[in-house]
Amino acid sequence: MKAFAYVNATSEREAVAALKFDGIALPLAGGQDLLARMKDYIDSPDRVVNVKNALDATVTATPDGGLKIGGAMKVVDLAEHAQVAKLYPAVAAAAIEIGTPQIRNQATVGGNINQRPRCWYYRNEEFVCYKKGGSRCFAVNGENQYHAIFGNDGPSHIVHPSSLAVPFLAYGAKFRVLGPNGEREIAAAEYFTMPTLQNVMKENVLADEELLTHVILPAPGNVKSGHYEVRYKASHDWPLVFATIVLALGGTSGNTIRSARVVLGAVAPVPWRSKAAEDALAGKPLNEQTAALAGEAAVKEAKPMSGNAYKIQITRTAVKRAIMNAAGIKTA
Amino acid sequence: MFRQRGGGPAQPPPKPLDPRYKWPEKPTLLGTSVKRLDGPDKVTGRARYTYDINRPGMIYGRIVRSPVPHAKITSIDLSAVQKAPGVKAVLAWKEAGAELFYQGDPVAAVAADTEERARDAARLVRVRYETLPHVATEAQAMAADAPQWSTAQANTRAGTRQETGDLETGFKQAAHIVEQTYSTHVIGHVCLETHGTVCEWEGDKLTAWVSTQGCHQAAQGFAQALGIPQTDVRVITQYMGGGFGSKFAPDAQGIICAKLAKLANAPVKLMLDRREEHLDTGNRPSAFAHIKAGVSADGMLTAFDATSWGTGGAGQGANFPLPYLYQFPNRRRAHTDVYINAGTQRAMRAPGHPQGCFLTEILMDELADRVKMDPVEFRIKNAPKLAPNAMWIEYFQRGAKQFGWDKRHPTGDPTPGPIKTGMGVSAHLWGGGGRGSQSHVDIMSDGSVVVKCGTQDIGTGTRTIVAMVAAESLGLPISAIKPEIGDTQYPFSGGSGGSTTAASVSPAIRVTTMKALDALYAKVAPVLGTDAQNLVAEGGRIHVKGDTSKGLAWKDACKHLGTEPISVDGAWTDGLSSSGTSGVQFSEVTVDIETGIVKVKRILAMQDCGLIVDKLTAESQVYGGVIAALNFALFEDRLLDRVTGQMVNPNMEFYLLAGMSDIPKIEIVLNNMPERGVVGIGEPPTVSTASAIANAVRNATGVTIRSLPLHPHKVLAALEQERAGGT
Ligand SMILES: Cc1cc2nc3c(=O)[nH]c(=O)nc-3n(C[C@H](O)[C@H](O)[C@H](O)COP(=O)(O)OP(=O)(O)OC[C@H]3O[C@@H](n4cnc5c(N)ncnc54)[C@H](O)[C@@H]3O)c2cc1C
Ligand code: SF4
Repeated sequence: MKAFAYVNATSEREAVAALKFDGIALPLAGGQDLLARMKDYIDSPDRVVNVKNALDATVTATPDGGLKIGGAMKVVDLAEHAQVAKLYPAVAAAAIEIGTPQIRNQATVGGNINQRPRCWYYRNEEFVCYKKGGSRCFAVNGENQYHAIFGNDGPSHIVHPSSLAVPFLAYGAKFRVLGPNGEREIAAAEYFTMPTLQNVMKENVLADEELLTHVILPAPGNVKSGHYEVRYKASHDWPLVFATIVLALGGTSGNTIRSARVVLGAVAPVPWRSKAAEDALAGKPLNEQTAALAGEAAVKEAKPMSGNAYKIQITRTAVKRAIMNAAGIKTA
Repeated sequence: MFRQRGGGPAQPPPKPLDPRYKWPEKPTLLGTSVKRLDGPDKVTGRARYTYDINRPGMIYGRIVRSPVPHAKITSIDLSAVQKAPGVKAVLAWKEAGAELFYQGDPVAAVAADTEERARDAARLVRVRYETLPHVATEAQAMAADAPQWSTAQANTRAGTRQETGDLETGFKQAAHIVEQTYSTHVIGHVCLETHGTVCEWEGDKLTAWVSTQGCHQAAQGFAQALGIPQTDVRVITQYMGGGFGSKFAPDAQGIICAKLAKLANAPVKLMLDRREEHLDTGNRPSAFAHIKAGVSADGMLTAFDATSWGTGGAGQGANFPLPYLYQFPNRRRAHTDVYINAGTQRAMRAPGHPQGCFLTEILMDELADRVKMDPVEFRIKNAPKLAPNAMWIEYFQRGAKQFGWDKRHPTGDPTPGPIKTGMGVSAHLWGGGGRGSQSHVDIMSDGSVVVKCGTQDIGTGTRTIVAMVAAESLGLPISAIKPEIGDTQYPFSGGSGGSTTAASVSPAIRVTTMKALDALYAKVAPVLGTDAQNLVAEGGRIHVKGDTSKGLAWKDACKHLGTEPISVDGAWTDGLSSSGTSGVQFSEVTVDIETGIVKVKRILAMQDCGLIVDKLTAESQVYGGVIAALNFALFEDRLLDRVTGQMVNPNMEFYLLAGMSDIPKIEIVLNNMPERGVVGIGEPPTVSTASAIANAVRNATGVTIRSLPLHPHKVLAALEQERAGGT
């Protein structure tokens, strides 16, 4: 690993100031991603700024009945937070499945959202792909069984790695961001970017000197939510596909879906909102049949690569089961 | 390199056993469950593995490796690295002009004062390559216009050709014929402790702490490669974290380490990292076979015709037994080794058997279905006859009962819902046995006992069984024995491979301790006023047979040694061990047909290994074997990028291995056969698990997946094909 300077920031402002630097400076949170990238020579920053002591690590209630989650909060604490589990069960469900207990004990909310892709070409030094300033994507003609099935226009075909981003987006979260010129709030739905030749080396709109300080979740309202992850291994692995569903219910029986948010994970370069599935759900009764229809709708526009068409079936299942999960119907 | 394969080489007829050395008829320790003596040291971190060896003034080595799968070195420039901070030694392992055959092929090496600096410095070695076209898969290598894996050698080499009986007649007798292609993939050994060495010179003498499963072989390897007498090499392996067949020789990294230590005039530690471990420390070759097989209307196998191939990487063969175990009276097989530009194979836990077993056992279930027979019944009908080293028929019967096989539904779980349950069965054989170990025993006048043997504990509990056998022989508690192993200064013992260690070491310890005991009897007999042959050692005493009152406590007996301890050498002898093991495994799985995910619910392993020495460590071997095979069945896969030939998953993240929660309930039935002597059990339990799992998946889903691993994409594809009306 390349030698680097280390700054232990103790406040948001100090951290942001330390990131403004002539050379490459990167924030360090739980280090579960960054340290591995440095050891593998994927990134070689000149300065590393520890933000664990600089950022909020707590959950606070907001005046509108929502919650504000600090960027330095540990994933394990998020998973075990009673208010989070009560208001946003899909967030807790996603958090508890991440990696391993060791990873969850170190990883932070901010680090999880901003972690870099897990594409195996990206993670191995010899493959200089678009994400690393190269001029090709190795996944296209190579080994792409874990790559995207949506948003496959390129140039990169990663799946966004963050498990938390998906439920955050489904619950309509905003991210508070602080930079040298002050703070801004960005809707989670606007935060993540589809790759273009210009921006392919990043996955979101955050500027180099900015930090994600908080996740702000609006009051959930009268919703039912569900989360379902399809995992091959039970632990120490990535989901093959997962989905968060947030349903606003109404009607005389209270069982009619007024509107829905369907967000898919591990299927596209960004947390993937499925408008087709949302449309299929609107106005329907909440039951298994509707769930299956939504699963079907969700995959209509899938464009798999050479080796990952099987993820279509898994997506169908994840959507269906997340909805059944929201409805309280038992699933496999 | 001593490596006994299944079946093993023909052995000379046994010499009759001296009755004094016979295994005791009523053992007090053998066959009981004894916890590993070094368990507490291992879990507390007191046990020092090669990685933990630190010598005064020690520096760290790092190897520069080929980043590409096939190239010619045009130049190597070491000037920049020589000036890098902390660098103490640099060497070119290959010369300009040399051809490199796989990603990870070693090219040069550096040693620096810290591990981090060594890593950084290695990146400053400037190697220029002329890249050559490569082949990354068996199919690429076998294509008509394929590039050559080597400028000197073709991509394929004809291997085994066998023909027995008359195929035409065999197929005429068949009422049904199955013709399909079956395959298994390449996986790594994935030793938890990576390969590596600490080398220290004292003048011309080398001491090497090596993570090896054969200290004496490693010493021989060092001597040969370095051109020094083997008497000047000492290899020490007190603890090692797994070898599975990949750690017999010093390898490039060992020799490089020794050379760097010489150049730098300082001890050097060179441990590979996980990535290097995946790229350059061996693997289990792939296996493919196109098989046409026939079965008669009454369920007898009639004919088997196979074309097989597989790759052991760059220039290494990939043979495996086929057909496996079951008796096809008329059979033919033609095998081809395929070379690709990838790290080379090494013996891996039961070399060839898991492959041959899978290819045959899936076919067996397909044939059983054709004749509408239960897979257990079908196998019993076609298995070799019952014999002490071939217990399949009994295991099929007993195992089926214990496992609840009667609850198995025919192919395809009819239960509604996405979760389908199924059961599968599979059988295996192995050679095992062993010979040639020597040992030394000292009994001191204070009663302390040390047993020395130049074997090593590959992780199976060898240290513990050495102490157990000695304690059994001397009538002492295990705690009274000091077992010393893992050092070439101790008497010769072979490598821990081929399931030979227990069967080779235990007899040596038995013979040596009984000889030592005779020497002690000779001293004590006059004191007790009797003849030596009237004495026995049991319960910590030496006394006259049948009269416990006429005797001495062990310590008091040893006092009569005076100033001259007993010091005895002994060696393995015929009659205390044998070879040949058999086993049958059952598995139950669930398959989620909406996601393709397979979960193994339980495994039953029926296994023999002759005389059980330590029941606990024998069972551990079965657990380990079954878990490793579950990984082979479901998770592990060495994945080379089909375009660049570079490995995409040289890590522990995308090279999947089961975690605790992926591991099912494993039941073990060990068949103790003391009359056979010690046989060894390291390999057999890992052979048939994957096939039992795959057959259970078939039983659950009604579709046949003829290749490993059983990744969801294959399960879903097979189900999809079934829906579309395929086979
Ligand atoms: C085997 C394995 C399985 C895994 N499985 C999952 C999984 O299922 N789901 C999942 O989501 N993750 C998974 N992970 C990844 C893991 O959860 C992430 O690496 C971790 O959450 C990152 O958080 P961190 O705090 O350690 O981030 P760090 O490594 O400290 O930082 C990650 C990146 O974000 C930047 N960063 C950190 N904090 C901020 C901030 N506040 N503002 C802006 N940028 C910031 C850093 O500079 C760095 O580039 C897995 C990892 C492994 C090894
Ligand atoms: S998918 Fe993206 S990260 Fe992966 S190889 Fe292609 S460009 Fe690189």
